[in-house]
Amino acid sequence: MKSSKFFKIYVSFCLILFNQIAHANEILITNANIYDGKSDKPFVGNILIKSGKIQSISDDMFDAEKIINANGRIVTPGFIASDTEIGIVEIGALSVTRDDSPKIYNIGFSIFDAFNPNSTLIPWNRANGITSALSLPKYSSSPIGGLGSFFDLNSELNISGKKDMVMIGRVGGSSSKSRAETFALMEDILDLAFSIDSNTIKSDSEIITFMNDIPLVDYLDLHVRDMKALYKLANERLPLIIESNRASDILKLIKLKKKYDLNLIIMGAQEATLVSSQIAENKIPLIVNPINNIPNSFDELASNINASARLEQAGISLMFNAPRDHNYHLIRQGAGVAVANGMSYAGAIKALTSNFSNAFGISSKGVLKKGASADLIIWSSDPLEPSSIPEKVFINGVDTSLMTRSLRLRDRYIKNLDKPNTYR
Amino acid sequence: MKILYINNIFSLFLALFISISAVSQNSAFKSTYAPMPHSNVLLKNGNIFDGDGNKFLNTDIILQDGKIVAIGKDLPRSMDLEVVDATNKWVTPGIIDIHSHMGVYPAPSVTTSSDGNESTSPVTADVWAEHSIWVQDPQFALALKGGVTSFHVLPGSANLIGGRGVTAKNIQRNTINSMKFPGAPHSLKMACGENPKRVYGNRGQAPSTRMGNVAGYRKSWIKASGYLSKLDEYENKSKEAKEMGYKPQRDLELETLAGVLRGDILVHNHCYRAEEMAMMIDIANEFGYKITAFHHAVEAYKIADLLADNNICAALWADWWGFKHEAYDMVQSNIAIVDQARNGTGCAIVHSDSEIGIQHLNQEASKALAAGVRAGFDISQARAMKWITSNPAKAAGIYDETGSIKVGKNADVVLWSENPFSVYSLAEKVYIDGALAYDRDSGFEPASDFDIGILNPAKNRIDE
Repeated sequence: MKSSKFFKIYVSFCLILFNQIAHANEILITNANIYDGKSDKPFVGNILIKSGKIQSISDDMFDAEKIINANGRIVTPGFIASDTEIGIVEIGALSVTRDDSPKIYNIGFSIFDAFNPNSTLIPWNRANGITSALSLPKYSSSPIGGLGSFFDLNSELNISGKKDMVMIGRVGGSSSKSRAETFALMEDILDLAFSIDSNTIKSDSEIITFMNDIPLVDYLDLHVRDMKALYKLANERLPLIIESNRASDILKLIKLKKKYDLNLIIMGAQEATLVSSQIAENKIPLIVNPINNIPNSFDELASNINASARLEQAGISLMFNAPRDHNYHLIRQGAGVAVANGMSYAGAIKALTSNFSNAFGISSKGVLKKGASADLIIWSSDPLEPSSIPEKVFINGVDTSLMTRSLRLRDRYIKNLDKPNTYR
Repeated sequence: MKILYINNIFSLFLALFISISAVSQNSAFKSTYAPMPHSNVLLKNGNIFDGDGNKFLNTDIILQDGKIVAIGKDLPRSMDLEVVDATNKWVTPGIIDIHSHMGVYPAPSVTTSSDGNESTSPVTADVWAEHSIWVQDPQFALALKGGVTSFHVLPGSANLIGGRGVTAKNIQRNTINSMKFPGAPHSLKMACGENPKRVYGNRGQAPSTRMGNVAGYRKSWIKASGYLSKLDEYENKSKEAKEMGYKPQRDLELETLAGVLRGDILVHNHCYRAEEMAMMIDIANEFGYKITAFHHAVEAYKIADLLADNNICAALWADWWGFKHEAYDMVQSNIAIVDQARNGTGCAIVHSDSEIGIQHLNQEASKALAAGVRAGFDISQARAMKWITSNPAKAAGIYDETGSIKVGKNADVVLWSENPFSVYSLAEKVYIDGALAYDRDSGFEPASDFDIGILNPAKNRIDE
């Protein structure tokens, strides 16, 4: 009897403790109009967040310490910006705040260690609906080179993201050389990448010995770091984003993809509509700016406001970018413009969410499903209307702050105006 | 609502006004603009933002002989009117962009046609943007499809005083004179801050600091004042005395500056920081000229009352920031704060400075409005429509002719598929002086010479 009573007390104590722990990081969002990032139609449901992940997404009701009634508002995965300088450039024209370009390395240059979680761009873009971003270095002198990293925009000094998950490159019209040489160089670099074997990469001294015999290494002034990055590109099928616009250049890139079995993503792609069947056939995802219809160079003559709709029709997976200048959330407006010009609404949402995670192999992001990261947004209204704004932004299950420096400045000049501005 | 028909005396007065103001301008480079053949149209049962702050639901508009001749409910259909059903659609004045570099920085963006900054001297009041405009720029047609019927092209901001800007009608033609807005005054582009001091400072030349910038403006205005005195002195002489004495030597730079001091040329001043705008107002007062608008003015919200008190507009982006240190303090409600200053007497303009932005000024206004409402201001869509229509028209000096849907004004009108504050709204028909310049349904749209046969010899660029 005695022991049994003790047992009962013990059990109930444990239950209380367990409930408290469970409740402490359980959030239930009810009555949400859910665009989950993968389905073609929205559905009304409830989302249970637990330990930073989505525990359930269904009609089911749960008890949770925090329950947020979305009142039928739209809930989407957090939007992902696929082409940014977030965390590595604070003020464009101030070189001391730019950490996007190297001096010595090129192919193996990584921006990861420069990332500043306290950058003002992070709360700004988060408060406008971006929960994670791919930050990319400036293009190097080499047609392939420079490593980008993926970051959660949660302002945590303890950075969560994925280091060096993509290599970048560029080909097209240039005032300094023929694109034919750029393509030749690209092939030479890829040949070099695929010639590095697993034994060579074991030690730096092996790499140095290997490098000794190769003229291209001298010509491009490559270092051990660069060789390691090339090895990763060839052997880990690192995603390779090549910025390219002209239709004929895109076809040449498709040939290179086939020859080397590259994990190729084409960015810019202003003339993709002219070669859309080939792009679709080879399953190449594109990063495009749907609002950019300017024939800004002789490589971009086919630029058209209806390009996103036509590329979607062709069965191509799209991601959206905006000019690399602070307002990466403007991919929402771009998506709205794409829909206004014929793209499907669900397709535009995918272009802001799951198309990224599929292209880059980050399955926990960009989609609302059981087990995925709880990166999600409750919107004031249609998120593709640029007048809308997030009401709640969760990143890894955390209800993040939507305060920004900009809001602080605003309030300083519309409130308490009887005091001098610096004392408000 | 009362039906108003055009007053013939009004149009006569308008023509007279235009011819008088032309006298005070240089006789060279006159506008030769003539409207395209107009259609007489009854826009039936549309929802109207008139650009002057009003909203009229289910209302008709008649465009006749290039003018707006009637606005009202159930207007009579006459035989010669083509009826366009605007039910559930929206009608606005033609959009006006007060800050464009179309033509002077055309597409493609190539060095051989980048003609917007004469950055060889910090003061180039002698240059005119219109002399750089490439009339085949494919960007004009794209802006037209965004509802833009008039736009103001400015020189760039490399210089303290960058030269004259020009207002054009968005009817692309093969000379710039035939696009120039008849009777519209020139502007003078001035620039504060980082750009001039960077461009010239990097060459070890003045200005290299902000105080160097201010010295530069003041030196120019001192010269201009002296020139104007000589000019006035000569012009006030009797006919006989004029024959005896010499007419002051023409000076292109000083003619422009004197034009500002006489009030014929409107100052459009690129300026980001609050304290610099305040100083520019001091300089304007020192030399007796008026600043029409500050452009970009990311910090306008910090001195919104000062701008309202001085009757100065602020032409702003909805959300650009951070590309320079002086553009770091952006607030999204900047436009709304300027608009609401001094009990709503502020003059806010949404500008583009961008070949993409100019196509979506309605969306930019929508963002700015939403931010203003979030900041707690009670601003209607009808009022926000002023930011891209009547206010830029006032700043360009063309408000008497266009910029709002008002009987007697030019029939510069856009029919939108839905409320233009939505991202899904598209311009369906754009009328300029009553002529249909763009029709989404029929695919009627201009193509510049550049657009012809450039990808596929048999097609236009945009049809690819």
